[in-house]
Amino acid sequence: MSELRFTLNGKPVCVTVEDNARLLDVLRDTLGLTGTKEGCGVGECGACTVIVDGDAVNSCLMPAMRVSGKSVTTVEGLAHDGRLDRLQQAVLDHHALQCGFCTPGFLMSAKALLDKNPHPTREEIITAISGNLCRCTGYEQIVEAILDASEREA
Amino acid sequence: MRNFTYLSPKSLPEALRLMREHAGRIRPLAGGTDLMVELRKDDAKLDGMDYALDLCGIPELCGVSQEGDLLSIGSATTHDAVSRSPVLRERAAMLADASLSVGAQQIRNVATIGGNVANAAVAADTLSPLAALDAVVVLRNMEAERRMPLSEFVTGAGKTAIRPDELLIKIVFAPLDGYGTAFVKLGRRKALAISRMNAAAALKIEDGQIKGARVSPGCVFASPRRVSCAEELLLGAAPSRELFERCGKAVSDEMVRITGVRWSTEYKYPALSAIVCRALCIAADLPEEEA
Repeated sequence: MSELRFTLNGKPVCVTVEDNARLLDVLRDTLGLTGTKEGCGVGECGACTVIVDGDAVNSCLMPAMRVSGKSVTTVEGLAHDGRLDRLQQAVLDHHALQCGFCTPGFLMSAKALLDKNPHPTREEIITAISGNLCRCTGYEQIVEAILDASEREA
Repeated sequence: MRNFTYLSPKSLPEALRLMREHAGRIRPLAGGTDLMVELRKDDAKLDGMDYALDLCGIPELCGVSQEGDLLSIGSATTHDAVSRSPVLRERAAMLADASLSVGAQQIRNVATIGGNVANAAVAADTLSPLAALDAVVVLRNMEAERRMPLSEFVTGAGKTAIRPDELLIKIVFAPLDGYGTAFVKLGRRKALAISRMNAAAALKIEDGQIKGARVSPGCVFASPRRVSCAEELLLGAAPSRELFERCGKAVSDEMVRITGVRWSTEYKYPALSAIVCRALCIAADLPEEEA
C-alpha cells in the first residue's frame, strides 16, 4: 500500500492505494466517483476516459500511482455551482445520448479537445472521439453537440 | 490484477540502479497500454515479475532532439508527441504518420515509441518506418551503453536482444532529407485497429529519376527490415505507377520466400503489393488510385 496525493477536480486528495491499483478503481471504489465507467477494461471503448494534466487518457490502463502530483478531472468536475458545463448542456440539447453509459467518456474526450483547441473542425472532433464507442445513439448527434458547444461561451 | 511494487524513479541513473538491483524481477512500465492489460490478465509471461519501473517520470527519456546529424527520440516519448513533433513531421513524416495511426487519442497520449519497439509486436506500427530509417536503438545499463540496429534488436515476434538490467533509452536515425515518405496501414477500421499489414516507403527523386529508395513492409517479417531487392528495382528508374506495382509484387514475393505459402497468402500477397504500391505513389507524389 502506498500513499497517493493528487488534485481531483480542482481539490487536493490523499488516499492509500495498492501499488497495482488502476486509476479507474481508485476513482470509483476508493473515492466513490462512479461517473467514470468501466466498459471493456482494455483501452478500446473509452468509457473510462478522464483528463490527466490536460490529456484524455483511459483510466483503466493507468496505474493510479502515476497520477501522483498530477491534476485529474472526471465527469464530476465538469459542472460548476450547479450549472452544467456547455458540453453537458449541448449533449442534452442535441439528444446525444440514450443509455448514457458512454457519455462521461465522450464528454471528457471532448473537454480535453476544446481545452486545447477551442474551435475544432468536424474532422478534428471525429478524431478526438474515435477512441470512444457508443452502441446506441450513433455518433452524429454527439459530433453535432460538440460542434455546438464549441460555438457557445465557455 | 497481478501484485507488484510500483517504482517511480526521477532520473535515469536511479532507474538503471533499480534495474540492476531487481534484474529478472522487474519490468519497465512505459505507457502501460499493453502491460496494464497483461498484468490484469496475470499473463504467464509475467511470472517472476515483482516490480514495475515507471519510465514516464524520467525527463532524460522524453522528447525529440538532434544529436549531430542524427535525430534522437527518447524511449518514453508518447505517440502523440511523436506525431506532433515539428522536426519529425518535417524530416521523418512516415514515422510521425505511423505514430498518429496508433490506437486513438487516449492511447496516443500515454503509449510510447519505446514501448512499441521494446514490446516488438509483429503488428507494431512504428517498426516499419523505423526500419526504413535504418534506426538504431540505444540500450544502457549501469556501466555501459550499446547501440544496435533495430533489425538486430528485434529478434522475433515479441522478442528482443535487451538484457535484464538494460533499458531502451532512445532511438536514433539519420533523417532522410530530400525524400518523400509515406506510411500506409491496412486495418479493420481507422481508429483503434492494429495493423493487419502496413508499409513505409521513402523516395528521393531528382531530375525525374529515383536516386534513393527505402521500402519496409510491416507485420510481414519476424524482424522488421528493408527489402533490398524491391529497392533495387526502383533505383535509377523513373517513378511510375507501373514500376511501383512491380515493386509491390517484389515485396510480396520476398514475403513468400521468407515465410512460405500460408493459408493467408492468397489474401496477403495482393494486399501487401497494393499497400506498398500505394505508399510509393504517395512518396513520389503520384495519385494513389489508378486513373
